[in-house]
Amino acid sequence: MTGYLLRRVGQAVVVVIGLLIVIFIMIHLVPGSIARSVLGVRATPGRISLFNSTYGLNEPLYRQFLTYLGQLAHGNFGISYQLQQPVSTLIAQRVPKDIVLVGLSTVLALVIALPMGIYQAVHRDRIGDHLLTGASFTLYSMPDFFFAFLLIAAFSVQLHIFPPEAPSASSLGGLLADPRALVLPVVTLALVSLASFSRYMRSSAIEVLAQDYIRVARAKGLPRRLVLSRHVLRNSVLPVVTMVGLSFPSIIAGAVIAEEVFNYPGMGLLMYQAATSHDIPILLGCTLVIGVATVVGSLAADIAYAVIDPRVRYGRG
Amino acid sequence: MRTLRGLAAAVAAAAMAVTFAACSGGGSSSGIGAGQGAPTGPKEKGGTVTMAWIAAAPNFIFPLAPATNTDGYNVNLTQPMWPYLVYNGDGGQAAVNPQESLYSSMTWSAGDKTITIVLKPWKWSDGTPITSRDFTFVYNMLKADYQNWINYLPGQFPADVTSVSAPNSRTVVINLDRSYNPDFYAEDVLGYVPLLPQHAWDKTSMTGKVGNYDETTAGAKAVYAFLQKEGGDMSAFTTNPLWSVTDGPWKLASFNSDGDYSYVPNPHYSGPDKPSLAKWVNTAYTTDTAELDALRAGGSLDVGTLPLNDVQQVGILKSSGYSVASQPLPGVAAITPNFYNAQVGPILRQLYVRQAMEELIDRPQIVAKAYAGYADPGNGPVPVQAFSHWASPLEKSGGPYKYDPARAVSLLKAHGWKVVPGGTSTCQSPGTGAADCGAGITAGQGLSFQLLYSSGTAAMDQQEAAIQSSEEQAGIRFALKSEPFNTLVGQFGVCTASSHPVSGCAWQLVDEGYIPYNLYPAGSSLFNTGGVNNNGGYSSPEEDNLVNATEYGSSTQAFYQYEDYTAQQLPWLWLPLESNVWVYKSNLGGFAPLNPISGGLNPEVWYYAK
Amino acid sequence: MAAAEADPARAAPALARPGGRRELAPGLASFARSGTGRAGTGLAVAIVLFSFLGPLVYHTNQVTVRLNLASLPPGSGHPLGTDASGYDVLGRLMLGGQSSLELGLGVAVATAVFGTLYGAVAGYVGGFVDAIMMRVVDTFLAIPSLVFLLIMVNIFTPNVWIIIALLTMLSWLTAARLVRGEVLTLRTREYVQAARMMGGNSPRVVFRHLVPNAIGVIVVNATFTIADAILTYAALSFLGLGLPPPHADWGTMLSNGLNYLFDSYWWMVYPPAIMLILTVIAFNLVGDAIRDALDVRLQGR
Repeated sequence: MTGYLLRRVGQAVVVVIGLLIVIFIMIHLVPGSIARSVLGVRATPGRISLFNSTYGLNEPLYRQFLTYLGQLAHGNFGISYQLQQPVSTLIAQRVPKDIVLVGLSTVLALVIALPMGIYQAVHRDRIGDHLLTGASFTLYSMPDFFFAFLLIAAFSVQLHIFPPEAPSASSLGGLLADPRALVLPVVTLALVSLASFSRYMRSSAIEVLAQDYIRVARAKGLPRRLVLSRHVLRNSVLPVVTMVGLSFPSIIAGAVIAEEVFNYPGMGLLMYQAATSHDIPILLGCTLVIGVATVVGSLAADIAYAVIDPRVRYGRG
Repeated sequence: MRTLRGLAAAVAAAAMAVTFAACSGGGSSSGIGAGQGAPTGPKEKGGTVTMAWIAAAPNFIFPLAPATNTDGYNVNLTQPMWPYLVYNGDGGQAAVNPQESLYSSMTWSAGDKTITIVLKPWKWSDGTPITSRDFTFVYNMLKADYQNWINYLPGQFPADVTSVSAPNSRTVVINLDRSYNPDFYAEDVLGYVPLLPQHAWDKTSMTGKVGNYDETTAGAKAVYAFLQKEGGDMSAFTTNPLWSVTDGPWKLASFNSDGDYSYVPNPHYSGPDKPSLAKWVNTAYTTDTAELDALRAGGSLDVGTLPLNDVQQVGILKSSGYSVASQPLPGVAAITPNFYNAQVGPILRQLYVRQAMEELIDRPQIVAKAYAGYADPGNGPVPVQAFSHWASPLEKSGGPYKYDPARAVSLLKAHGWKVVPGGTSTCQSPGTGAADCGAGITAGQGLSFQLLYSSGTAAMDQQEAAIQSSEEQAGIRFALKSEPFNTLVGQFGVCTASSHPVSGCAWQLVDEGYIPYNLYPAGSSLFNTGGVNNNGGYSSPEEDNLVNATEYGSSTQAFYQYEDYTAQQLPWLWLPLESNVWVYKSNLGGFAPLNPISGGLNPEVWYYAK
Repeated sequence: MAAAEADPARAAPALARPGGRRELAPGLASFARSGTGRAGTGLAVAIVLFSFLGPLVYHTNQVTVRLNLASLPPGSGHPLGTDASGYDVLGRLMLGGQSSLELGLGVAVATAVFGTLYGAVAGYVGGFVDAIMMRVVDTFLAIPSLVFLLIMVNIFTPNVWIIIALLTMLSWLTAARLVRGEVLTLRTREYVQAARMMGGNSPRVVFRHLVPNAIGVIVVNATFTIADAILTYAALSFLGLGLPPPHADWGTMLSNGLNYLFDSYWWMVYPPAIMLILTVIAFNLVGDAIRDALDVRLQGR
């Protein structure tokens, strides 16, 4: 197992560096001058050259990249061109907001999807199953921005039950202090992932239910609830585990649309603004953080897999 | 079928939502004027105003921002605390505000080369009087390092100052290297110069002592660098003792980097417009829809702007206790042609082509439909609503180019083009004769251009689509491409006859949205040869003379001449410019009427009334 | 981005048959019998007919902007009213359907082709080459899709082909992983080993035996890709990265229409939303039904 872990970590480092190189090249392929993008309409030739020399933009690309790697090694993520702030500060401010929002919504989605999937599998092809499938399909098929608007129009503007924007506090405590304001954004995000989690859970549970050992357990007289919670749940949760692992990076990357609609400046909006304004330090910093989150998520999913299913062993390749 | 039940459930949900949305909205849109008039109840003291801004996040508190910091919202943060020497915008007028300006008199002499300014006997918030030393402090710092000042315009303050003296503690004498139009210099240049507390800020480190460091160039640079470094430290905006020494009506109470900040009144403000309100809160919204949702949901917002595509909401908002006022923007909207683009430059250099293009834009219809009537008609370089006293009779009567597609077609035909409505017109008679297409245009070349515009507003998308469709009547094809503003700006280089590299000059037509003017709407830097914001490279000796005359001469006649000539020459294709529509609580007095410059930013004159 | 229908954890079908084509019949029959299959296919066909045959019957001008006709409610001449540029909504729905469907199909086909080739090669060759290829996939998977799209849209002026290419670049990764998973399982089957021992050269083995057996997975993934591509493009238009006018598609119609949601111009919002939802549901139903039919075929029930 240790050998496997070491190999995976090594590969992860390679992947992250490769990722940085790809983004670096891509951002420099965008036409137009970075200085002009940032300086806007007040760009005079004097200011442009001042900008370029301050940020080392006249150097050849490989040299700029190596300089960046060197800075990273010292923990320096650079300064945002547009926001004039250290990138590490910006990321540190925004990531917790997304962890709260997307994390809460993933938890909510799981809490609903797992039992729902098992229920659907047990009552397969009956009315309950079809209704839930229909609802899941509809939710899955709706563009999430449309869904967010409907929720706001109904619950905020029409019924005045929930505020139309997410809490604007910066600290974790502040965010959780106004739970009413979190309801709509969390529900919007949860409903989309809920649909796909429950479909996987359902199909996986159907397969598990057909297995011999389940029949044996039932034949032995085990109460149905026990069978479901001990055997079926544990065995059918595997694909969902992989999905959660795969969705871990989006917890860090945030959800641009939810952030935009609910006025919740998080990582998604940060990257959107950075990508449209050539703010290279932010883009590279965020990509790095998300890249790390991706490999960590995928590794965690694989480890959880091994824990849940003792038949899975990681020895070779 | 059993599965269809699931679908039926979906349809039912959609139908339910239809009812919800159909119930919201509606109501007739009553007219929006300059404002509903002041509330009639007695004036109350106190109260909090919460104001919404879209995508606005200031990040710098030292009023003289460095050249690399282009955040346009910093001035919103600093002006309430350190007003500019010349305060532009008075009530509903685009004029200098004598109550909030920091000088009591400004006289020009020696052929408009010397300015004598007498400062008002006001005090800083720590009780120290404001003196001419505070002006020389600012001047010294800027003189030492003006290339690193965001508001520096090449050749102007402080580079054009030969000397500054302070004969007494309330008088400043500035000697310039040439004579200027006093309106221009006072409003456009001195309107960006604040007074700063020399007695508290003239040091080079937080723990150092205050001295007269600014009197040497090296010292001035050190002080400037120190203040700029402190000015960017957002976590200390409310705690750093430097920033508590102010001369404006407000004091910063809270600040966070997302763009939410609030003020309380400065109890030591010396001016006559002392705030009645107890607190002024600014909150930033990511998009205008999020802001509109907050307005509609009611309760949390007192003042906000209404996106024009939601102007139907006026009825509902009025019945929920809001009033509405429109504010013309101080600037101009236009499509900038690139006179030196490799492919289409020669075509765009022909005046008749630009005239045809302009005559195919139905500006009144765009104003009525895309902007619901709340827009400046776009008759020329000077917005007739925002700066009506600078608008010439020609502009006020609709400008030289009214919507006339027939004339556009005949113009093109008269110059040797085969006009194909709905298709692409091509040049049939290349050459430089009077009836030929023009120099540099090849036979068969088509009238096909790319129009790049800044994305994000529904009204803008509608406008560009309408323009594209309208130009096709004469076979002029505009291919539209919308980009976020910052991306667009990155490609929107300055292209001149002598320098038009592909990297910044691949653009053909650009609509950057809104080009702002200062109080005196001169065309310097926009239409003169070599102007820093003259991206298209328009160049005409007569234009240069006329622009000079407006800056360095002083007659209104000269201004009208510049204006009419520019309107007619079409260095840009003039477009309507949408106004701001503000929504504010009906019992908030003093908010309306709004002037184009400082309207919405002067809560010191607002008050709640019953 | 909506979660792609990757199913890397799904156990490989219990039995695989050599030369899968011969065994298609029971699968097809099962598909034809299933309610979901019939509903989904029926819906999809109806939408295709609406989009492609509709304009032949119902003519509207979808090119000229006429502001004087903007935002008219449903009434005479305009069964679903007009939008903010004066275009007839019903006609625009048809045109929008054409582009959305073409986009979805284009992305699905391109994804299937590239994903299959890449995944099949990686899975079959195995070893070091496989590890490298999969690490490349991991790298591209780790790129935040929004950043990727934003940057690419600024490098290239978007037209339909560019958008198809970009969306393909985002979805081929999961297809590749899926196919590789299938191939990995399949290549240990006896008949494949037999084929190799009998001297069949590699590409032949890949194409004759592996790909047909993996076809089920590929087709299922493709139908889900159609639905996902349509949804992703709708999100792109909402963020302002879609194709400019006079191009019509449901995503842009919906996101433009949402600007007017509060003005109760419901005809600009709900028709494109409903079309989008119905289309995505249709393809998801079809995909689900094919997957169920696959199980039936392979479990020999």
